[in-house]
Amino acid sequence: MRSDVRRTMLFVSLCLAAFVFVETGVSGDDITARARNLHFSSIVVDTHADTTQRFIDGDFDLGPRNSKGSIDIPRMKQGGLGAIFFSIWIPSKITGPIAVKRALEQIEAVREQVRKHSQDLVFAKTAAGVREAREQGKIALLMGVEGGHMIHSDLGVLRKFAELGVRYMTLTHSGNCEWADSSTDRPVHNGLTDFGKDVIREMNRLGLMVDVSHVSDKTFRDVLSVSKAPIIASHSNCRALCDHPRNMSDEMIRALAAKGGVIQINYHVGFLSQAFRSAERTHPEINQSIAVEVQKRCGEKEGCQLIEGDRITREYVEQGKLPRVDWTKIIEHIDHAVKVAGIDHVGLGSDFDGANMPFGMEDATSLPKITEALLWKGYSEDDVKKILGENTLRLMEDVERISRELNTTKRN
Amino acid sequence: MRSARAIFLFAVIFLLATNTLVRSVPADDLAVRAHKLQFSSIVIDTHDDTTQRFFSKAGFDLGKRNSDGAIDIPRMREGGMNGIFFSIWIDGHIMGPTAIQKALDQIDAVRENVAKYPKEIVMARTAEDVRRAHAQGKIAALMGVEGGHMLGNDIRMVRIFSDLGVRYMTLSHFYNTEWSDSSTDKPAHNGLTDFGKEIVREMNRQGMLVDISHVSDKTFYDALEISKAPLIASHSSCRALCDHVRDMSDDMIKALAAKGGVIQINYEKSFIDQGYKDASAKATGGVVEIISQLKKTCGDDEECFEREGAKLEKRLTDEGKLPHVSWERIIDHIDHAVKLVGADHVGLGSDFDGANMPEGMEDASKLPKITEALLRKGYSEGDIRKILGENTLRIMEQAEKVSKELQAQP
Repeated sequence: MRSDVRRTMLFVSLCLAAFVFVETGVSGDDITARARNLHFSSIVVDTHADTTQRFIDGDFDLGPRNSKGSIDIPRMKQGGLGAIFFSIWIPSKITGPIAVKRALEQIEAVREQVRKHSQDLVFAKTAAGVREAREQGKIALLMGVEGGHMIHSDLGVLRKFAELGVRYMTLTHSGNCEWADSSTDRPVHNGLTDFGKDVIREMNRLGLMVDVSHVSDKTFRDVLSVSKAPIIASHSNCRALCDHPRNMSDEMIRALAAKGGVIQINYHVGFLSQAFRSAERTHPEINQSIAVEVQKRCGEKEGCQLIEGDRITREYVEQGKLPRVDWTKIIEHIDHAVKVAGIDHVGLGSDFDGANMPFGMEDATSLPKITEALLWKGYSEDDVKKILGENTLRLMEDVERISRELNTTKRN
Repeated sequence: MRSARAIFLFAVIFLLATNTLVRSVPADDLAVRAHKLQFSSIVIDTHDDTTQRFFSKAGFDLGKRNSDGAIDIPRMREGGMNGIFFSIWIDGHIMGPTAIQKALDQIDAVRENVAKYPKEIVMARTAEDVRRAHAQGKIAALMGVEGGHMLGNDIRMVRIFSDLGVRYMTLSHFYNTEWSDSSTDKPAHNGLTDFGKEIVREMNRQGMLVDISHVSDKTFYDALEISKAPLIASHSSCRALCDHVRDMSDDMIKALAAKGGVIQINYEKSFIDQGYKDASAKATGGVVEIISQLKKTCGDDEECFEREGAKLEKRLTDEGKLPHVSWERIIDHIDHAVKLVGADHVGLGSDFDGANMPEGMEDASKLPKITEALLRKGYSEGDIRKILGENTLRIMEQAEKVSKELQAQP
């Protein structure tokens, strides 16, 4: 080829390459813009946050933008969060009527926040309530009781919790309760006792979602066989990626999905990252020293303990004592769960204000990153909407429908 | 002129006969009017202890006509009762978190049992709910917590109970609470403590009526001073006719009425009949004493309580130690209260299924007798409707209004 033709062809190729490169750059901006549109036009549901503990501490209000913690009204709005389940939680070792009373105190604290901020928040008890909240331009607040010890083995108390607006119950927290084994305690009941099975049946009748986060694998299998309704794992991850007993094995995720349930991905670094989990296990003294520091800063204030625990963990990471976990690990877990369970069975259950957040997902304002990352991965907009909240809303609707059917059958 | 005389005689006889007939019609006419009035009115009973029967080991069916007790749906229907406050009650010695959980169990029992008969009876919270139920031909079921000990000494429980549908709270039962004195206990707080006053304020905010049955006189006057809404005496009678501490003095009734409140007359024999009260105190030491005795025999077994209580009652009456008490004493109390403060401040709070009923008022089916007796006494239909239920609805509406106003404030 003549050199001037070769030069011209080279020049044209370079121009074409440049053009293609520029076009790709425009597509990148396009995805970001699409992601923003998609995120803020979807109903984004977070099925687990421990912010309630901060209400109980007494020095925190949802209204103003906070410099600590992950959740408040301005940051929820900035992050496009449409609905959030606040957990009602007390330590597993507190049992009996006191546990019932403290649960009531927390339920009332959540209800009081809604009353105080009625222009921004609305209480929701159903999927329709969540959709209605969106129509009104408000954030829907819901509640989940995190630990069956809070009903003190009394189905009447369970019914009153439901009446006060609780929409799911996590059967145990980190310790066993009187009728169910936890994944982080010695097995005592071999899953669910007979009464535990009665609890599941009553939850089905009341339209309360049965939450299997925290429970032992046997408890999970017992629930599957007793529950007539699909099940939620309100804040659990994939054991295949991080071998914490709190996480679900692929087999468990498949079984959950086969029954119509949803695994809601947790952002806690110890459940996201094998490296972090291994470091914690190898050096238990690290968690001990964090606990000591937390106690110094917070005393008995639970909300403070959770927030400061998160901050101190960050400090340790920055000092190189613990591995750095990037927020993109969340996407890995979502992606793995979708591959195992299918697109209809994955959602978001942050554990905000109750755990140690990864870098880049410190608070609700970072939520749109998840939508963008999924779009980049090639997820369709409909699929992203499902993960963001539609799967959870479908699950709620299924549980409500089954409750109605069971009540009609009972009356007839 | 034989035919004319015959006609005249016939006419006289005829006139005499029709005159007689006309004179006998007013009596029948009154019974008919009473029946019509009873069954077209909203008839609310502000205190029934039937809740305890829901825990019966033998099983109690609210929907069946029962041969014992005073309340069930068939007999309420027969008596025209279409509004009932089920009392949420546990022994006043139980306090703290246990008391709260047991109260939840009782609230749950009411809801679960009412839910069994959705065509007949429905839960209600507000005066409007009661009116709506009446329009639908259903009985409105409400709840009152009988004793502030069930708050577990925690003011937040006022909101919880209110959220769960409780529309009044009797500040104390037989024994003092941590913050209020009872009329049947030794004074410890000189009425309401500061915390007790906070509780009254919170009740106002939640639209929960402050009930001063059972409380000591000082507690009554303290509550009256603090409360921004009218008070209810959900099941109390008149001390002027029967000097029981559970009853209200004329001064108290006047003070209650001056603030818009209502005294709902209790049918318990020892609260309405002086002779019975005195004899009962002599024979058994009085209501609180009997209950303590029965507790020793029966413990927590409420049915044992009822059985043994009834047996004791019958034995003492048969032995002549206790006089018979006619249901008409109820009318005396209503009448006394109306003469004192007017028809706007009196209502009915039977204490059915929680007390000893006078003869002729054994159960809800006998209620129409009250309406008929009041008509015979010359009460207007309007005033009777007030006593039967309109007064109670009015104070509920006022409590709701006060609640809205207080919650609107910053």
